[in-house]
Amino acid sequence: MNPGLAPRIGPPLATFVVTAALAEAAIRVSDVSPLLLPAPSAVVRAAWSQSAVLLPALAATARCVLLGLAASAALGVLAAVALSSSRWVERAFYPYAIFFQIVPIVAIAPLLVIWFGYGSRAVVAAAFIVSVFPVIANTLAGLLSVDPALRDLFRLYGAGAWARLLKLELPWALPFILTGLRIAAGLAVIGAIVGEFVGGGGLGVVVLGAMREQRTDLVFAAILHASALGLALFALVNLASRLALRRWHASESSA
Amino acid sequence: MRRPLLAALLGVLVLAACRGSGGGKPAIALNWKPEPEFGGLYEAKRSGDLAKHGLDLELTGGPGAPVVQMVAAGQVAFGIAAADEVVLARDRGVDVVAVFATYQTNPQGIMVHASRKLGSLAELFAAGGTLAVEPGLPYVKWFQKRYDLARMKIVPYGYSVAPFLLDPQLAQQVFVTAEPIAARRQGADPQVFLIADSGFDPYAAVYITSGRRLREEPARVAAFAAALRDGWRSYLDDPAAANAVMGALNPEMDAETFRLAAEAQRPLIETDFTRQHGLGAMSLERWTELAAQLQELGLVDHAPDPQRCFADSQKLAGSRP
Repeated sequence: MNPGLAPRIGPPLATFVVTAALAEAAIRVSDVSPLLLPAPSAVVRAAWSQSAVLLPALAATARCVLLGLAASAALGVLAAVALSSSRWVERAFYPYAIFFQIVPIVAIAPLLVIWFGYGSRAVVAAAFIVSVFPVIANTLAGLLSVDPALRDLFRLYGAGAWARLLKLELPWALPFILTGLRIAAGLAVIGAIVGEFVGGGGLGVVVLGAMREQRTDLVFAAILHASALGLALFALVNLASRLALRRWHASESSA
Repeated sequence: MRRPLLAALLGVLVLAACRGSGGGKPAIALNWKPEPEFGGLYEAKRSGDLAKHGLDLELTGGPGAPVVQMVAAGQVAFGIAAADEVVLARDRGVDVVAVFATYQTNPQGIMVHASRKLGSLAELFAAGGTLAVEPGLPYVKWFQKRYDLARMKIVPYGYSVAPFLLDPQLAQQVFVTAEPIAARRQGADPQVFLIADSGFDPYAAVYITSGRRLREEPARVAAFAAALRDGWRSYLDDPAAANAVMGALNPEMDAETFRLAAEAQRPLIETDFTRQHGLGAMSLERWTELAAQLQELGLVDHAPDPQRCFADSQKLAGSRP
């Protein structure tokens, strides 16, 4: 086992255990209704007893989040490359990219159903819409911050546009892209769940149904699953970041 | 270890906020926008019936408001919910009580395109197609128990009739006073099957309060029910004035829709039963049946005592001032 793992997992785990224990005690002492705030033990019980509902829902949500995030990564980087191609293109189109950041997903979610139909396509679209902007913005920042001296070097050696993009600009922007993806990962989970509120399937429908049935414990259990999904994605991006950057970039080589 | 302490502190604060009884004017939480389903309440406020009974209520809430939780926590004195929500809440240990039932017949139904020439819910479920309903609705569980829904593709309802207008094979949940009127005005030819026809018929737009308030201020609760009865009587006789008040608060809905909705709901509110027992009255048989049905559906572990789910004007009469 990796000896570096214990010091990493220990502190957050301790935080979790202590917080849960305090919340449990506070809720039991104050005798607050489980409808208003369920005790952590009730949430764990609901997660266990409803696992036949929660786990398939988690799998369905995870699938849509991954597809939405993959689309954000691919199209976001492409869009940023296009925007960085000239000042004029950037000026003409970048303000419209910001549209993706401010679009109130809850408001347009019902339209997604009309455009894409019920089911996972609308959910993937919702995950994409809320997660693409951080990828575009960070990638663009990376592409535009390339060291001018290196640009001069590439020009001196007569490198073409493709070579400059693939060997200089994208590698330079890689840490930026990964930062964008870290932000996008959490947003994609939120987007997918909102998409499921209208498109159907996954944890979103479990949350709605549990609220309607006044099963607050199940609502929190579903939220717990969504958080776990967000954490897993964050860890995945971090892993990709380590693998991609540890040989040459200061942000990952110190560990 | 500062973080867990901070989190615990935050938790305690949340609890304190939840338990605080919220000073100031007593309020009633609605569960939807101002629409004819609340006509009698707005009429009682407009005409001064509420004030006459010593009740100066602030109207709060709206779509998505956690009404049962707000009433149980004492944040509002009264709220509007469905009868099934009352039974569910009582099963979860939350002491809320129904004091006035607006609808004797549940106004919820399933809307289909009349062009499909379907005669009943059973025929719809046999024919198949898409069914747009909010996840977790008890009556959908009831359908699943009574009918075979294998041919239906069940999707969430997003409070818009646009998908219905676009898809001739789509069926959706409705309030008979709302969506069918909207769909018709947008050119569709809708047909509605009431869920009550399937044998599941909980009272709807039920006014609730907490059991504690009922014990501590029975006269006040009785006065509230009496004001509602007066308000609904006036609204049924002439909804125009209250509709104008609600129309100003809910400008998306035009005056004609208000008029049509008030017209459509009248037979669901005033029945032979209410002519005998008064508007808003409830019967023990109906509550007993509902509790048994919800237990059959597995939504409650052990059906709560139906006697304690409601306290209508007749029960409250003894405590009238």
